[in-house]
Amino acid sequence: MSLFRKEWTPADADEWTIHDLVASVLSVVSYFLVAVGVAGALLLKVWGFVALAAGLVSIVLMFLIIDPKLKAMSRTFAEKQHEFLEHIDKTTRWEQSEGLYE
Amino acid sequence: MSEQILGLVEFTFLDWFWVVVFVVVMIVCGVIFYRLGKRSESEFFLAGRGLPWWLPATSVYASHTATDTPMWIGGVLYKFGMRGIWFPFFSAWCAVSAFISTRIFRRSLAMSQAEWQSLRYSGLGAELLRGWLAGWQTFMNMFILAWVSAAMGKVGTYLFGWPHWIGLVVFTAICAIYVLSAGYWGVIMADFQQGIIAFTIITIVCCWGIYEAGGAKAIIDKLEVLGESWRLNPFHFDEEFPLAWFITLLIMSTFGGIGMGNFIDWYTEAQRIQSARSLRDASYSIWAGGLAGIFRNSFWAVAMLAFYVMFPNITDSRDYEMGWFRLAFEYMPIGMIGVVFAAVLAIHLSTISTSLNLGALYATHDLYHHYINPEASEKRLVQVGRINTVLLLLGCFILGLTMRKITEWLIFALWLQAAGIWIPSILQVIWWRFNSWAYLSAWVANLVMSWLVVWVLPAVGVMPELPDYQQFWLLAVLVAVVYVPIMFLTRPDDMDHLVKYYVMARPCGFWGPVRREAVKRGLIEMEM
Repeated sequence: MSLFRKEWTPADADEWTIHDLVASVLSVVSYFLVAVGVAGALLLKVWGFVALAAGLVSIVLMFLIIDPKLKAMSRTFAEKQHEFLEHIDKTTRWEQSEGLYE
Repeated sequence: MSEQILGLVEFTFLDWFWVVVFVVVMIVCGVIFYRLGKRSESEFFLAGRGLPWWLPATSVYASHTATDTPMWIGGVLYKFGMRGIWFPFFSAWCAVSAFISTRIFRRSLAMSQAEWQSLRYSGLGAELLRGWLAGWQTFMNMFILAWVSAAMGKVGTYLFGWPHWIGLVVFTAICAIYVLSAGYWGVIMADFQQGIIAFTIITIVCCWGIYEAGGAKAIIDKLEVLGESWRLNPFHFDEEFPLAWFITLLIMSTFGGIGMGNFIDWYTEAQRIQSARSLRDASYSIWAGGLAGIFRNSFWAVAMLAFYVMFPNITDSRDYEMGWFRLAFEYMPIGMIGVVFAAVLAIHLSTISTSLNLGALYATHDLYHHYINPEASEKRLVQVGRINTVLLLLGCFILGLTMRKITEWLIFALWLQAAGIWIPSILQVIWWRFNSWAYLSAWVANLVMSWLVVWVLPAVGVMPELPDYQQFWLLAVLVAVVYVPIMFLTRPDDMDHLVKYYVMARPCGFWGPVRREAVKRGLIEMEM
């Protein structure tokens, strides 16, 4: 499965895949690099600029990997949202919960 | 606080003019959404779940830049140098959460974390958890309101020599006007402006501070002369700042993003997540808001290095934690003081408005609507939301007048929230077998044990006062000793309930039996 997959079916987008894991890792890496990079760059340190540039690359990669999947997932879920909200209204009323005092 | 820095600034007419203009704009901006806010409970507390990502993102940033934030982050940066940026790095949980727990929570459609408990769990345990979390969060938001208002009282005393209560009461009361009028619509629209103002002014003040210290090269040179060059190294580990602490922080913040409720901030973000118009918007709002905070902290880090080389011998934490405020009010050019104070107000109002509305959400949706009056009309719920906002405001004034030491209260709250329930908050997301009784027992055990480990036992000499990262792991183990047996001694949650939750939220992790049951019932497609 390509990391830079652009087309997602609704069923595929609903599953957890390597794309979610890689996006999460890149996301943490980008936070880390931005934290160090911005401080270093303000002190005019070379390592600061390098870290900041690496952080930006990490952000771009993360976006390219996860955005098509997020778009597909959002479209599918938006169609189901109304039905789900009705379900919640029914099932979370405490006096109607099934087996509440078993 | 030292006598010599009380009543630091004198405002001119122009300064007050800018402050008044800002306050009026904030109030008008909030009140203008009065009609939207009163339409329904969902509008009053979630802006109708229709916001594009950049609105909740600025709100995430704004509400997490509170009046006390420059104090405690500035304090650790002054004390620890550049490596102090890792103290607030726990907000990196947003980086992971954006693509894991945010997605799961948004799909659950729960209006609050307390409601999520009754979607995830079933039976009496779920109800007890929901009631507990609703009560806890109502109190916790009052507590946050109190400590942030107390910080504003401190700023008022520091800047103008006002009695503590003036800063505490006046600005928080002003904020209540637009929260009462428009609910979350008022919060989010004001946060958008406040977030931009706060971000811009913090950045400008930090750059100005660096300039006043002579620029980057001069800061580095002065630190060398002072024999303090280690302050430039974000990875300088020693006994005071051990590598084990750093690793603990990285694990805590990153893996914590998988869970729900690990951090005190989660409950605020949960409201932003549900107010976003789609899963994608929810993910990006949390991710971008968190990143903006990281960006801000790095600016503060260098500004506090600048403050350090200008004032290297401050030993009283109550003085050096005001470092950023001193850069702002003592060094910014004439004509900017009123603008800077407006930014301080923006920082203050955004946190206050968030906690007022969020506390009212738990009190209204999870206590009143759920337990007291399930048949309440939308109009009645909005009315109760407003009454609860006023009650929170009054409670915050009483509580705020009793607390002075900001950092101690902050650490108390964070530990009480974070340590023992860190792992259970992850388990409840990723493991179907983790049940309501296990989570409830983890909460109770954490409340008891955090008091014992952090204060009581060291005070009576039973155990030494441990470094905070050791307290964290000790509490994680001690609380596990309670909830793991309870989980295996009690039944799993009802399978019908779990299947409904799974189909809707699609959690990650160890949900095999529930997934197979959902496939068997034809509720989801079988994996190819």
